[in-house]
Amino acid sequence: MRNVPLILFLILLGAGCGSSDAASAPEEWVWDIPDTVPLPRIPEDNPMTPAKVELGRFLFYDKQLSANQTQSCGSCHQQELAFTDGLARAEGSTGELHPRSSMSIANVAYAASLTWANEALVRLERQALVPMFGENPVELGMANMENELLRRMRDDPRYPPMFADAFPDEADPITVDSITKAIAAFQRSVLSFGSKVDRWQAGDRTALNESEQRGMALFFGGTNEAGVEDAFECFHCHGGFLFSQSSDDEGQVFDQKFFMNNGLYNLDEDGSYPAGNQGLYDLTGDPADKGRFKPPSLRNVALTAPYMHDGSIQTLEEVLDHYARGGRLIESGPNAGDGMLNPNKNSLLNGFQITQQEKADLIAFLNALTDEDLLTNPAYSDPFAAE
Amino acid sequence: MKRREIMLGALCVASVASLGCSDDGGDGTQEVTIRFAGVVGTEPFVCGETYDNLGADDSSLEISDFRFYVQSVELKNQSGDYVPVALTENDWQAEGATLIDFEDGCTDLGTEPMNTTVTGTVPTGSYEGIRFEMGVPFEANHDNPSTAPSPLNLTSMHWDWQGGFKFLRIDSGTLSPTDWRMHLGSTGCDGDQLSGGTTACSAPNRTEVELESFAPESDTVVADLAALVEGAALDENQSGTPVGCMGGPADSDCAPLFNNLGLPFAGNAPSGAQIFFSVD
Repeated sequence: MRNVPLILFLILLGAGCGSSDAASAPEEWVWDIPDTVPLPRIPEDNPMTPAKVELGRFLFYDKQLSANQTQSCGSCHQQELAFTDGLARAEGSTGELHPRSSMSIANVAYAASLTWANEALVRLERQALVPMFGENPVELGMANMENELLRRMRDDPRYPPMFADAFPDEADPITVDSITKAIAAFQRSVLSFGSKVDRWQAGDRTALNESEQRGMALFFGGTNEAGVEDAFECFHCHGGFLFSQSSDDEGQVFDQKFFMNNGLYNLDEDGSYPAGNQGLYDLTGDPADKGRFKPPSLRNVALTAPYMHDGSIQTLEEVLDHYARGGRLIESGPNAGDGMLNPNKNSLLNGFQITQQEKADLIAFLNALTDEDLLTNPAYSDPFAAE
Repeated sequence: MKRREIMLGALCVASVASLGCSDDGGDGTQEVTIRFAGVVGTEPFVCGETYDNLGADDSSLEISDFRFYVQSVELKNQSGDYVPVALTENDWQAEGATLIDFEDGCTDLGTEPMNTTVTGTVPTGSYEGIRFEMGVPFEANHDNPSTAPSPLNLTSMHWDWQGGFKFLRIDSGTLSPTDWRMHLGSTGCDGDQLSGGTTACSAPNRTEVELESFAPESDTVVADLAALVEGAALDENQSGTPVGCMGGPADSDCAPLFNNLGLPFAGNAPSGAQIFFSVD
């Protein structure tokens, strides 16, 4: 209540400023999304504005967000690789290896859950804290350095006005909360619906060549040469506008978090995966969760090798071989076992017969999911690259 | 840092002043201070000291962090009923949680100030027992930590990949990936896209503590690190998992530690009540 006179005063002051008032009002965020795609769910306490997205872009690429100032979010999420890093397992700022492979952030606004296997992480604002402050493994390594982080932001002449523009209602806008909100807003702005497949689906019948079209038909349940209907079962896990069933959007009322075991490992009769990298099981302790991971979006999949949560498959061709067998056989070594027989394996993964032509067509289709604009769009690019 | 010291100083003055007053300020309540002490077996805990004969392998560890949150603190009155302690809001206490902090910033992840007390008010009377939980209340545990008040705003106590806080944090050495550590909090938590919040956790992992004979004016709640690691082979580690126990239900190195906290682990009930806390 004590604030009312001050607010009134500010409003009057603002009114007195005439045209400059309109200029300082936050611009509306405009989504550039095809009609076939719903709007993403935006948290009520973090509306999108151009100023916030721009601040988030700088923070995403700023190495001041790591303790030793050697890494930014963009170190593991590189635009030219569809926001992945080309590594089997990500490497943090102190050299510690992450158990998992960096995931693309393209279209992450629609992720039903974040990271490879975590039911608790459903908001980008909260997820951002994991790489910043997490200790197991160390990524950006900022634990217990929140005050140092805020000092760096205040001392960098670039940032105080950017924070003020992004958070005009905050008296002291440079906070950890603002940092996570701005990074989340930038990430939500990184959209990728400009592939050849999107153009085909929008009605451009020249967008896909014949091989890509055949691959698309096989992907979406077509009959293979062996005469089996929906032989490849791809879209059951990788369907929908994300090419992942794990999707959420503004109008979604159901929980579409989705995790499944695809038979990569089978170390024992319980269907164990290598310790410390067992998917949902690492958080729940439920043996039925061993090896359950989120099916990632296949958009831009040609650029996101190596594949799987631990980068243990190098090429798309080998991925198809894995699914054709219905699981991976590892004959010797510490991870020996037949993933085909994993007791937790999804029941759709029973293997299939596939010809060389069908394989080539499916890969042609997967390659047609690449969105070239994503890789070069200046709105998503590293603002420090030119400095 | 300066500001915190001044505030702590002010608190001390306030509590000294309150001692000078009669027990009940006329409103039927009295202030109460519950003291905690960190020990390792028979020795007091000192940040950065090395302690021997720990666990099943008589391991030696240089202990460099020792902190935990407590919640739901209740004192047992003369009738045998437990009454809640209404926490005094300060830098160490907020939203129903108190951070007990025995480390003095001997590593980069610590803080110089320490806290060894829970302070609050209870109905006027005398008390002879205590119970509490090691943890943070559910709502505060899963609220946005970026906007939480002290002591819930310490990123070293956040456990973001589990969507909550580390209820207990014990580290050794220089906190490298090869140093033994124990971090404990709720696991198996489920997030809700619509609200953005957490709906439930399959393993809440709040240690329940009841010390039936405890006089707040003369006794101390002792947290004994040697008791916590009793029977645990600290020099061994399940391959592929963090050294020590990062609270993961899939890390078998956690099993004896959970048992000593009276917590179920991987579907197995504990053999008895917790042995980490006792009365001195």
